Amino acid sequence: MSNASKVASETMSADQSMLTLDNLDVAIDSTPILRAVSLQLRKGEMVSLVGRNGAGKTTTLRAIMGLLPLQAGSIRLGNNIISNEPAHRRVDLGIGYMPEDRRLIPRYSVEENILMSSWMGGNKRNRDRLDEVYTLIPELKGFAQRQALSLSGGQQKLVALGRALLAGRDVLLLDEPFEGVAPALVQRINEIMSELSSRSDRTVLVSDSSISEGNSFYDRHVFIERGQISDFPAGH
Amino acid sequence: MLSLQRNVALGALALTIALAVLGAFVPEWILYTCALVLAKGLVVLGLCLLLRMNLVSFGQGLYYCAGAYICGLVSQMGISDAFFLTFLAALGSAVVGLILGLFLSGYRSVFFAMFNLALSMILYGVLLKSISLGGSDGVGVAAPTYLGYAPDGEMRLYVFFVFALAVAGASSVFAFLYTKSEMGLASASVKDCEIRLEYLGLSVRYLIIFNFVIASTLAGIGGALVAMVSGHIIPELAYWTTSGEFVFITVLSGPNGILSAFGATAVFETIRLVAGQNMPNSWQMLLGSFLLLSILFMPNGISGLFRRAKAPKPDAVGEGINND
Repeated sequence: MSNASKVASETMSADQSMLTLDNLDVAIDSTPILRAVSLQLRKGEMVSLVGRNGAGKTTTLRAIMGLLPLQAGSIRLGNNIISNEPAHRRVDLGIGYMPEDRRLIPRYSVEENILMSSWMGGNKRNRDRLDEVYTLIPELKGFAQRQALSLSGGQQKLVALGRALLAGRDVLLLDEPFEGVAPALVQRINEIMSELSSRSDRTVLVSDSSISEGNSFYDRHVFIERGQISDFPAGH
Repeated sequence: MLSLQRNVALGALALTIALAVLGAFVPEWILYTCALVLAKGLVVLGLCLLLRMNLVSFGQGLYYCAGAYICGLVSQMGISDAFFLTFLAALGSAVVGLILGLFLSGYRSVFFAMFNLALSMILYGVLLKSISLGGSDGVGVAAPTYLGYAPDGEMRLYVFFVFALAVAGASSVFAFLYTKSEMGLASASVKDCEIRLEYLGLSVRYLIIFNFVIASTLAGIGGALVAMVSGHIIPELAYWTTSGEFVFITVLSGPNGILSAFGATAVFETIRLVAGQNMPNSWQMLLGSFLLLSILFMPNGISGLFRRAKAPKPDAVGEGINND
């Protein structure tokens, strides 16, 4: 491939939508939570999904991950419709998810927790990214062999982030990574996110309850209010 | 991992040889009981793997019985090689386990337990009414041979005991290494949170089927051993009290051990033997009281006793985990 055409194809793939939500309706126990949610994330884009508690941030991420059924609409990864795939298949396809609560396995070592998504089936190749995870979050290497239960809450948050990084080859969904975290760790997670946005071409969707100052690594913000998405905060 | 494999295999080999030597000096009735313990212990081992996932099968007698009948019926055709019969029983019960596992993997807790029970009672009913399969009288099983070697007289039981030891030893090594493998770790984490496994790319359904097939294979091997040692198979192998006995022993063993599965089976059989002789009309009462006490004082079974001694309690290690 000549240089010119390589550049051209890269430009094309950068313009291409990596993750597309098309008119999603999601209800939990017949209460509508998301209404006609549409969102397009380009390859390599880092976007924050901002909304108050109960606005539908977690529901959006869980719907993308396949943990909640869609009432209507579809989800595409690249050109493939993935809304009919079960959650574990979506990991095969390259999506990683970090839930708001850390959900590590207390008795397993940190490294075992990080490697979980490489334990079965077509995901064995995820293991190759362990070095990348350790490069991005070097402190994980320090306690790789310790049991997860012996870590502090903040350290566990980093482990959950590393675990999601290993699973998410192309897309990363982070549910409120800054929530309930001490200021020093917020700073640390910010650093990791900046580095992630400059070093990796993953598409990242981060939910947050407010736009925090100094998070310059986001390419843009989208806002969610009562289950509906807009490009502007509520009241504008 | 490789050195772990080697150490475990060597340890199991040493234990097997020691028990085989010991077996040469004990009376026949003890040898017979030990062979029975090895056979039933394999079924319990499989149930332990399921219990690690919080699944209890109240119908494990189905696979035990399937293994025994495959072994018995094929031996009726004049094939008496113990290795071949055991292999065939393992294969057959694995296939049965796979087919039923596809269906059962959609259920949890009491539904899983009771569906298994229902299926095993169907097999019991079918065997009871099938004249060609011996009906309620069952079928005799020919004395096994070993790659052409046919022991006779007193040697017959001893050689079988050594064979059963080897089979149980190999199965235990496999089960131990499996629980330490990534598939084993993934399986043991099913009980905490199924959704977590799904968003980490692990199919819970697949894990359940996988463990279910291993458990039914072990039960089938146990069935083949019991068929060969008792020389007779009857539909009661699939009856619900047989399955209940296995669950009883599994609770006694606790989910986390390998040797404890056989230890608990040995304790159970000993109590039944002693109590059955000394108080023939009320031995169930003794067994019941024993289970009650063991649940009260060793909630994690025999395996829990050893674990507690080795590992410190979680809250003693660090800040504890906030992982609801």
